[in-house]
Amino acid sequence: MKSPLSFIKGRDTDGVMGTFRPQLTSLIDVMTILLVFLIKSFSVEGNLITPSPDLELPISTSEKPPKPMCSLIITKSSVLSEEDKIAEIDQFKDNDSLLIPLLYDWMTIQKAKCVDKERAKEVLIQSDRDVEFNVIKRVMFTCSKAGFSDFSVLVLEEE
Amino acid sequence: MNLAFSKRNSAPSEVASDTIDIDVTPVMNMFIILIPFLVSVAVFTHLTIIEFSLPPNVGMGLDTSEGKPKLKMTVVVTSDYLAITHGDAMLDSIPIVNGEYDYTLLFKKLSIHRKESDIKNEVIVAVRDAIRFKHVVKVMDRCRGAGFEKVGLSSAPEETESL
Repeated sequence: MKSPLSFIKGRDTDGVMGTFRPQLTSLIDVMTILLVFLIKSFSVEGNLITPSPDLELPISTSEKPPKPMCSLIITKSSVLSEEDKIAEIDQFKDNDSLLIPLLYDWMTIQKAKCVDKERAKEVLIQSDRDVEFNVIKRVMFTCSKAGFSDFSVLVLEEE
Repeated sequence: MNLAFSKRNSAPSEVASDTIDIDVTPVMNMFIILIPFLVSVAVFTHLTIIEFSLPPNVGMGLDTSEGKPKLKMTVVVTSDYLAITHGDAMLDSIPIVNGEYDYTLLFKKLSIHRKESDIKNEVIVAVRDAIRFKHVVKVMDRCRGAGFEKVGLSSAPEETESL
Protein backbone atom coordinates (compact mmCIF):
# COMPACT_ATOMS: atom_id res chain seq x y z
CA MET A 1 0.00 0.00 0.00
CA LYS A 2 1.23 3.43 -0.85
CA SER A 3 2.37 5.54 2.08
CA PRO A 4 0.42 8.75 2.77
CA LEU A 5 3.73 10.58 2.81
CA SER A 6 4.93 9.14 -0.46
CA PHE A 7 4.95 12.54 -2.09
CA ILE A 8 7.90 13.66 0.00
CA LYS A 9 10.15 10.99 -1.43
CA GLY A 10 11.24 13.31 -4.15
CA ARG A 11 12.69 11.85 -7.32
CA ASP A 12 11.95 8.26 -8.19
CA THR A 13 14.40 5.74 -9.66
CA ASP A 14 14.18 7.30 -13.11
CA GLY A 15 15.13 10.67 -11.70
CA VAL A 16 11.70 12.14 -12.49
CA MET A 17 10.09 14.39 -9.89
CA GLY A 18 7.36 12.50 -7.90
CA THR A 19 3.73 13.57 -8.09
CA PHE A 20 2.34 15.55 -5.14
CA ARG A 21 -0.61 13.33 -4.19
CA PRO A 22 -1.73 13.58 -0.54
CA GLN A 23 -4.09 10.90 0.73
CA LEU A 24 -7.35 12.72 1.46
CA THR A 25 -9.46 9.70 2.37
CA SER A 26 -9.16 10.09 6.14
CA LEU A 27 -9.70 13.84 5.90
CA ILE A 28 -12.90 13.28 3.94
CA ASP A 29 -14.00 10.69 6.52
CA VAL A 30 -13.55 13.27 9.29
CA MET A 31 -15.32 15.94 7.26
CA THR A 32 -18.25 13.60 6.56
CA ILE A 33 -18.70 12.73 10.24
CA LEU A 34 -18.46 16.42 11.13
CA LEU A 35 -21.01 17.30 8.47
CA VAL A 36 -23.50 14.72 9.75
CA PHE A 37 -23.08 15.99 13.33
CA LEU A 38 -23.54 19.61 12.30
CA ILE A 39 -26.60 18.86 10.17
CA LYS A 40 -28.07 17.08 13.21
CA SER A 41 -27.41 20.19 15.32
CA PHE A 42 -28.81 22.50 12.66
CA SER A 43 -31.67 24.66 13.83
CA VAL A 44 -33.61 26.92 11.52
CA GLU A 45 -35.21 28.79 14.42
CA GLY A 46 -32.07 29.30 16.45
CA ASN A 47 -32.33 30.45 20.06
CA LEU A 48 -34.80 33.24 20.65
CA ILE A 49 -33.37 33.75 24.10
CA THR A 50 -29.71 33.90 24.97
CA PRO A 51 -29.15 33.01 28.61
CA SER A 52 -26.78 35.10 30.66
CA PRO A 53 -23.23 33.69 30.86
CA ASP A 54 -23.43 33.94 34.67
CA LEU A 55 -26.21 31.37 34.75
CA GLU A 56 -26.13 27.62 35.00
CA LEU A 57 -29.65 26.73 33.98
CA PRO A 58 -31.36 23.65 35.43
CA ILE A 59 -31.79 20.62 33.19
CA SER A 60 -35.28 19.43 32.34
CA THR A 61 -37.14 16.97 30.15
CA SER A 62 -39.46 19.73 28.94
CA GLU A 63 -39.62 20.17 25.18
CA LYS A 64 -41.65 23.36 24.98
CA PRO A 65 -39.75 26.04 23.06
CA PRO A 66 -39.32 29.46 24.63
CA LYS A 67 -41.19 32.48 23.32
CA PRO A 68 -40.45 36.17 23.70
CA MET A 69 -41.86 37.62 26.89
CA CYS A 70 -40.87 39.78 29.83
CA SER A 71 -37.78 38.18 31.31
CA LEU A 72 -36.04 38.17 34.67
CA ILE A 73 -32.62 36.77 35.47
CA ILE A 74 -31.78 35.39 38.90
CA THR A 75 -28.09 34.72 39.42
CA LYS A 76 -26.50 33.48 42.64
CA SER A 77 -26.02 37.05 43.83
CA SER A 78 -28.61 39.31 42.23
CA VAL A 79 -31.83 39.77 40.30
CA LEU A 80 -31.33 41.34 36.89
CA SER A 81 -33.33 42.55 33.98
CA GLU A 82 -31.88 42.00 30.53
CA GLU A 83 -29.77 45.12 30.88
CA ASP A 84 -29.53 46.22 34.51
CA LYS A 85 -29.16 44.90 38.02
CA ILE A 86 -32.44 45.33 39.91
CA ALA A 87 -31.69 44.01 43.39
CA GLU A 88 -29.03 42.17 45.35
CA ILE A 89 -30.21 38.89 46.85
CA ASP A 90 -28.51 39.62 50.18
CA GLN A 91 -30.63 42.75 50.53
CA PHE A 92 -33.98 40.96 50.55
CA LYS A 93 -33.57 37.24 51.20
CA ASP A 94 -33.96 37.55 54.98
CA ASN A 95 -36.68 40.22 54.98
CA ASP A 96 -39.97 39.51 56.69
CA SER A 97 -41.88 40.86 53.72
CA LEU A 98 -41.87 38.74 50.57
CA LEU A 99 -42.17 41.84 48.39
CA ILE A 100 -39.00 43.16 46.72
CA PRO A 101 -39.72 46.89 46.28
CA LEU A 102 -37.17 47.62 43.54
CA LEU A 103 -38.30 44.62 41.54
CA TYR A 104 -41.95 45.54 42.04
CA ASP A 105 -41.32 49.02 40.62
CA TRP A 106 -39.50 47.61 37.62
CA MET A 107 -42.13 44.97 36.92
CA THR A 108 -44.92 47.54 37.15
CA ILE A 109 -43.18 49.63 34.50
CA GLN A 110 -42.68 46.57 32.30
CA LYS A 111 -46.34 45.64 32.57
CA ALA A 112 -47.38 49.16 31.61
CA LYS A 113 -45.11 49.02 28.55
CA CYS A 114 -46.65 45.79 27.26
CA VAL A 115 -49.36 46.45 24.66
CA ASP A 116 -50.62 42.87 24.28
CA LYS A 117 -52.86 42.20 27.29
CA GLU A 118 -52.37 38.42 27.17
CA ARG A 119 -48.60 38.73 27.00
CA ALA A 120 -48.69 41.28 29.80
CA LYS A 121 -49.37 38.47 32.31
CA GLU A 122 -46.42 36.32 31.25
CA VAL A 123 -42.99 36.39 32.77
CA LEU A 124 -39.99 34.20 32.04
CA ILE A 125 -37.66 33.47 34.94
CA GLN A 126 -34.09 32.56 34.06
CA SER A 127 -32.69 31.26 37.29
CA ASP A 128 -29.43 29.63 38.21
CA ARG A 129 -29.87 25.98 39.21
CA ASP A 130 -28.31 26.50 42.64
CA VAL A 131 -30.48 29.44 43.73
CA GLU A 132 -32.57 28.69 46.81
CA PHE A 133 -36.34 28.52 46.47
CA ASN A 134 -36.58 31.27 49.08
CA VAL A 135 -35.33 33.73 46.43
CA ILE A 136 -37.55 32.33 43.67
CA LYS A 137 -40.55 32.54 45.96
CA ARG A 138 -39.95 36.22 46.69
CA VAL A 139 -39.46 37.03 43.01
CA MET A 140 -42.66 35.18 42.08
CA PHE A 141 -44.60 36.89 44.84
CA THR A 142 -43.40 40.31 43.70
CA CYS A 143 -44.25 39.51 40.07
CA SER A 144 -47.74 38.39 41.03
CA LYS A 145 -48.26 41.60 43.00
CA ALA A 146 -47.24 43.54 39.89
CA GLY A 147 -49.92 41.72 37.89
CA PHE A 148 -48.03 38.79 36.34
CA SER A 149 -49.77 35.46 36.76
CA ASP A 150 -48.34 33.13 34.09
CA PHE A 151 -44.83 32.00 34.91
CA SER A 152 -42.26 30.09 32.89
CA VAL A 153 -38.77 29.03 33.80
CA LEU A 154 -35.99 28.68 31.27
CA VAL A 155 -34.25 25.30 31.33
CA LEU A 156 -31.79 23.30 29.29
CA GLU A 157 -33.31 20.39 27.46
CA GLU A 158 -32.03 17.04 28.68
CA GLU A 159 -30.14 15.11 25.98
CA MET B 1 -17.01 6.22 -21.81
CA ASN B 2 -14.40 4.15 -20.09
CA LEU B 3 -14.34 4.41 -16.38
CA ALA B 4 -10.94 4.61 -14.75
CA PHE B 5 -11.77 2.11 -12.05
CA SER B 6 -12.84 -0.53 -14.55
CA LYS B 7 -9.21 -1.63 -14.55
CA ARG B 8 -9.67 -2.84 -11.03
CA ASN B 9 -11.26 -6.14 -12.10
CA SER B 10 -7.98 -7.66 -13.09
CA ALA B 11 -5.52 -5.75 -10.91
CA PRO B 12 -4.47 -6.57 -7.35
CA SER B 13 -5.52 -4.06 -4.71
CA GLU B 14 -2.06 -2.48 -4.34
CA VAL B 15 -1.86 -1.84 -8.06
CA ALA B 16 -5.49 -0.70 -8.27
CA SER B 17 -4.95 1.92 -5.57
CA ASP B 18 -2.41 3.54 -7.85
CA THR B 19 -4.67 3.57 -10.85
CA ILE B 20 -7.89 4.81 -9.24
CA ASP B 21 -7.64 8.53 -9.06
CA ILE B 22 -10.87 10.16 -7.93
CA ASP B 23 -10.78 13.92 -7.95
CA VAL B 24 -12.02 14.92 -4.50
CA THR B 25 -11.37 18.63 -4.89
CA PRO B 26 -15.05 19.57 -5.48
CA VAL B 27 -16.09 17.54 -2.45
CA MET B 28 -13.47 19.25 -0.34
CA ASN B 29 -14.60 22.65 -1.60
CA MET B 30 -18.17 21.81 -0.66
CA PHE B 31 -17.06 20.74 2.82
CA ILE B 32 -15.02 23.88 3.31
CA ILE B 33 -18.03 26.07 2.50
CA LEU B 34 -20.68 23.95 4.22
CA ILE B 35 -18.94 23.24 7.52
CA PRO B 36 -18.26 26.88 8.57
CA PHE B 37 -21.87 27.73 7.67
CA LEU B 38 -23.27 24.86 9.72
CA VAL B 39 -20.97 25.66 12.64
CA SER B 40 -22.27 29.23 12.62
CA VAL B 41 -25.93 28.16 12.80
CA ALA B 42 -25.56 25.04 14.96
CA VAL B 43 -27.40 25.02 18.27
CA PHE B 44 -25.53 22.94 20.80
CA THR B 45 -27.74 23.67 23.82
CA HIS B 46 -31.48 23.46 23.38
CA LEU B 47 -33.40 25.84 25.58
CA THR B 48 -36.92 25.00 26.64
CA ILE B 49 -39.39 26.34 29.17
CA ILE B 50 -41.58 24.90 31.91
CA GLU B 51 -44.84 26.70 32.45
CA PHE B 52 -46.47 26.85 35.84
CA SER B 53 -48.81 29.04 37.81
CA LEU B 54 -49.19 30.32 41.30
CA PRO B 55 -51.76 28.64 43.57
CA PRO B 56 -54.57 31.15 42.83
CA ASN B 57 -54.69 29.77 39.27
CA VAL B 58 -53.67 26.19 39.78
CA GLY B 59 -53.60 24.00 42.82
CA MET B 60 -55.14 26.25 45.42
CA GLY B 61 -55.99 23.04 47.17
CA LEU B 62 -59.68 23.52 46.68
CA ASP B 63 -61.78 23.40 43.54
CA THR B 64 -65.23 24.87 44.09
CA SER B 65 -66.35 24.72 40.46
CA GLU B 66 -68.87 21.98 41.20
CA GLY B 67 -70.06 23.50 44.43
CA LYS B 68 -68.05 21.28 46.73
CA PRO B 69 -64.36 21.47 47.48
CA LYS B 70 -61.96 18.98 45.94
CA LEU B 71 -58.50 18.47 47.30
CA LYS B 72 -55.56 18.37 44.96
CA MET B 73 -52.48 16.24 45.27
CA THR B 74 -49.40 17.97 46.63
CA VAL B 75 -45.73 17.03 46.42
CA VAL B 76 -43.81 18.49 49.34
CA VAL B 77 -40.09 18.97 48.74
CA THR B 78 -38.00 19.21 51.89
CA SER B 79 -34.28 18.83 52.48
CA ASP B 80 -34.79 15.37 54.01
CA TYR B 81 -37.52 13.76 51.95
CA LEU B 82 -40.20 14.09 49.30
CA ALA B 83 -43.78 13.67 50.43
CA ILE B 84 -46.97 13.11 48.48
CA THR B 85 -49.97 14.47 50.33
CA HIS B 86 -53.67 14.83 49.66
CA GLY B 87 -55.17 17.35 52.00
CA ASP B 88 -54.03 16.43 55.48
CA ALA B 89 -53.30 12.84 54.56
CA MET B 90 -49.77 11.84 53.70
CA LEU B 91 -49.89 9.25 50.93
CA ASP B 92 -46.21 8.54 50.61
CA SER B 93 -42.86 9.68 51.89
CA ILE B 94 -39.66 9.17 49.90
CA PRO B 95 -36.50 9.73 51.93
CA ILE B 96 -33.23 10.96 50.47
CA VAL B 97 -30.89 8.10 49.52
CA ASN B 98 -27.14 8.84 49.58
CA GLY B 99 -27.85 12.56 49.51
CA GLU B 100 -30.00 12.31 46.37
CA TYR B 101 -33.74 12.46 45.87
CA ASP B 102 -35.23 9.29 44.43
CA TYR B 103 -37.00 10.80 41.44
CA THR B 104 -37.71 7.42 39.86
CA LEU B 105 -39.63 6.28 42.90
CA LEU B 106 -41.43 9.63 43.04
CA PHE B 107 -42.54 9.16 39.44
CA LYS B 108 -43.86 5.67 40.17
CA LYS B 109 -45.71 6.79 43.30
CA LEU B 110 -47.21 9.80 41.54
CA SER B 111 -48.44 7.62 38.68
CA ILE B 112 -50.12 5.27 41.14
CA HIS B 113 -51.74 8.00 43.25
CA ARG B 114 -52.87 9.94 40.19
CA LYS B 115 -55.15 7.05 39.25
CA GLU B 116 -56.84 7.27 42.64
CA SER B 117 -57.13 11.05 42.65
CA ASP B 118 -60.26 12.97 41.65
CA ILE B 119 -58.27 15.71 39.95
CA LYS B 120 -55.94 13.96 37.56
CA ASN B 121 -54.37 16.85 35.71
CA GLU B 122 -53.33 19.24 38.47
CA VAL B 123 -50.72 18.97 41.16
CA ILE B 124 -49.09 21.38 43.56
CA VAL B 125 -45.37 21.32 44.22
CA ALA B 126 -44.78 22.82 47.67
CA VAL B 127 -41.14 23.62 48.31
CA ARG B 128 -39.18 24.56 51.42
CA ASP B 129 -37.09 27.73 51.34
CA ALA B 130 -33.67 26.07 51.42
CA ILE B 131 -34.26 23.76 48.46
CA ARG B 132 -32.15 24.45 45.39
CA PHE B 133 -34.01 25.31 42.23
CA LYS B 134 -32.62 22.37 40.23
CA HIS B 135 -34.46 19.97 42.56
CA VAL B 136 -37.70 21.90 42.08
CA VAL B 137 -37.37 21.57 38.30
CA LYS B 138 -36.71 17.83 38.60
CA VAL B 139 -39.80 17.33 40.74
CA MET B 140 -41.91 19.37 38.31
CA ASP B 141 -40.58 17.19 35.48
CA ARG B 142 -41.63 14.02 37.27
CA CYS B 143 -45.08 15.48 37.93
CA ARG B 144 -45.57 16.28 34.26
CA GLY B 145 -44.18 12.86 33.34
CA ALA B 146 -46.72 11.19 35.60
CA GLY B 147 -49.52 12.88 33.65
CA PHE B 148 -50.23 16.08 35.59
CA GLU B 149 -50.60 18.73 32.91
CA LYS B 150 -50.86 21.72 35.23
CA VAL B 151 -48.26 22.25 37.91
CA GLY B 152 -48.68 24.83 40.62
CA LEU B 153 -45.64 26.02 42.53
CA SER B 154 -46.06 26.97 46.14
CA SER B 155 -44.05 27.47 49.29
CA ALA B 156 -44.14 24.75 51.94
CA PRO B 157 -44.34 26.10 55.47
CA GLU B 158 -41.84 24.79 57.98
CA GLU B 159 -44.56 23.21 60.12
CA THR B 160 -45.33 20.82 57.27
CA GLU B 161 -42.23 18.98 58.48
CA SER B 162 -44.33 17.48 61.24
CA LEU B 163 -46.10 15.41 58.59
